[in-house]
Parts: sequence; structure tokens; C-alpha cells
Amino acid sequence: MSKVVVIPCSGMGKVYGLIAREAALKVVRELKKNEAETKCLAYLVTGDEEIKNYMQGKKCITIDGCPKMCAAKNAKEAGAEVIEELKSIEFAKEKRAMKPGTATNLNEEGWEVVDYIADKIVEIIDNLEVK
Amino acid sequence: MKETKIGIVSCSGEECLGGTISRLATRKVLEKLRMGETVTICLPLFIAGGEEERLFAKVFPTIAVDGCSKLCAMRATEKYSGKVNAVVNVAEILGEEKALSELVSLKEMPQDYEEIVDKVANEICKKIDKIISDILTKEAMEELESQGKSGGGCCCGNC
Repeated sequence: MSKVVVIPCSGMGKVYGLIAREAALKVVRELKKNEAETKCLAYLVTGDEEIKNYMQGKKCITIDGCPKMCAAKNAKEAGAEVIEELKSIEFAKEKRAMKPGTATNLNEEGWEVVDYIADKIVEIIDNLEVK
Repeated sequence: MKETKIGIVSCSGEECLGGTISRLATRKVLEKLRMGETVTICLPLFIAGGEEERLFAKVFPTIAVDGCSKLCAMRATEKYSGKVNAVVNVAEILGEEKALSELVSLKEMPQDYEEIVDKVANEICKKIDKIISDILTKEAMEELESQGKSGGGCCCGNC
């Protein structure tokens, strides 16, 4: 199975963008190094043929920080098969972590939400492998 | 000067250190160095968002901050909204090799990262100052021109 592409929104204006970014990095750099990878969302936005060709049909998990769902929309636009559209704010609510830091830095609550989302992504990837 | 804000569109590249530095330097400019003078929108909104987002770079003078020489922030902004006024390429400041290195999480920042962020943030500020100076000069020229047309005198006030 080819690697699952995890794409966070990384939104510049909100803490939930930073949480999404850090969760994706934790998965691709630590927890699922061999099974998952990430690609720059900014690069997807350029619409370059190289990245569009790469993304065609790739299984993809997106993590968005706001209701505009930029990561999910851009991944689909690039031709990926988005298998899960996660929202970092929903995870923060579940953890009752409503002051997770700022768009620049996360506090302890913020890092807990990062771990929580990363674990959820690992679970999704594990389920894919079982199937 | 008419109230003008400078728009900063930053890459936040997940794949390299340059993206992380772009993000942190942009945040520093927005929050500390040029608070109130600058605004941002998320780069991916150009596709996911509506007209409002695409109008962004048409309405505001815009600086693209890019982490590597792919210059995604600049290219995406120009594709959807029009020419940017300036570009800050982190790879030119850090060196391509370091900018493309894989250190990306806030937890893994190199010891000297604050210094690097400051360097990039200062570069963004220089571009902001230049844009504002250009706007002021243009406004002054227009003012002089309109005075010249209406009054027919020169700027010394005696003619």
C-alpha cells in the first residue's frame, strides 16, 4: 500500500491551524513514518502538474482548523481520495481544551489536542491496513 | 496617508524548515513588529474560499513570504489575485540547504531559530516600510499634481 498523505491546513490566523500542522507532523515524523507522509498544502494550491500528478488517487487524511475546510477542498481539487476530513476544533472540544494557545505557540492543552488528533490518525491508518 | 494595511501571505510549508520559519516570522510581524499595519489570510483560502479571499491581494498591497524557491505563496497569490508587491524568500536568507532541511515541528526548532526568525521578520518589515514609503510618495505626487492643476502655482506658494 502506498503511503497515506496527511494534509493539515496549517492556517496562519488561528491556533487550530497550528494544532492541525503539529498533529500531521507527529504522525509522519514519529508515529507512522513508514506508512504516512505529508505534502505542502501551499504547493497543492499552486496547481502545479507535478504535485497534481503525485496526488492523483492517493489516499489522503486532511485536518482542517476552520469551517472553510481548505485542506480537504484543495486535496480533492488536486485529485486525491480524501478518506477522512478531520477538524481540529472538534477534537479540542472533545478534550475540553478551549484555550490551547495561540496561532504562534501551543500551551500544554494545545499539545494534548495534538497528541489526541495524531492518535486518531494512527487509528484510521491502522484500520486501513487491516482492511 | 489613507489607512492602508499591508497583506502578508505566508507559506507554512510542512516539508521543510523554511516553511516553519516563514510561519513564525510572519506571526511575529503580525503580532509584534507591525501590529495593526498588517493583515493576513491563509494561503489555501485562495482555492477553498470565495471571491472575498481572492479580492484580498487586489485590495491590499501584498507581500509573499516563501520558505523555499518553489515560491508557492507568491505564485498562488498571483494566480488568483494579482501581482504581489514584494517577496521574501527564506531560502535566500537561510541558504537553500538549511531552508530545505526537514526540521519542521515547533518542538524540534534549532537553537538559533529565534535569530533566524528575527532576520526574516526584519526583512518582511523592510519590505513593508518600502511599500508604505512608495505609497506616501505617490500620494504626495498626486497631491502636488492636483494643487498644480487647480491653482496653477508651484509648491513654493509664491507663484
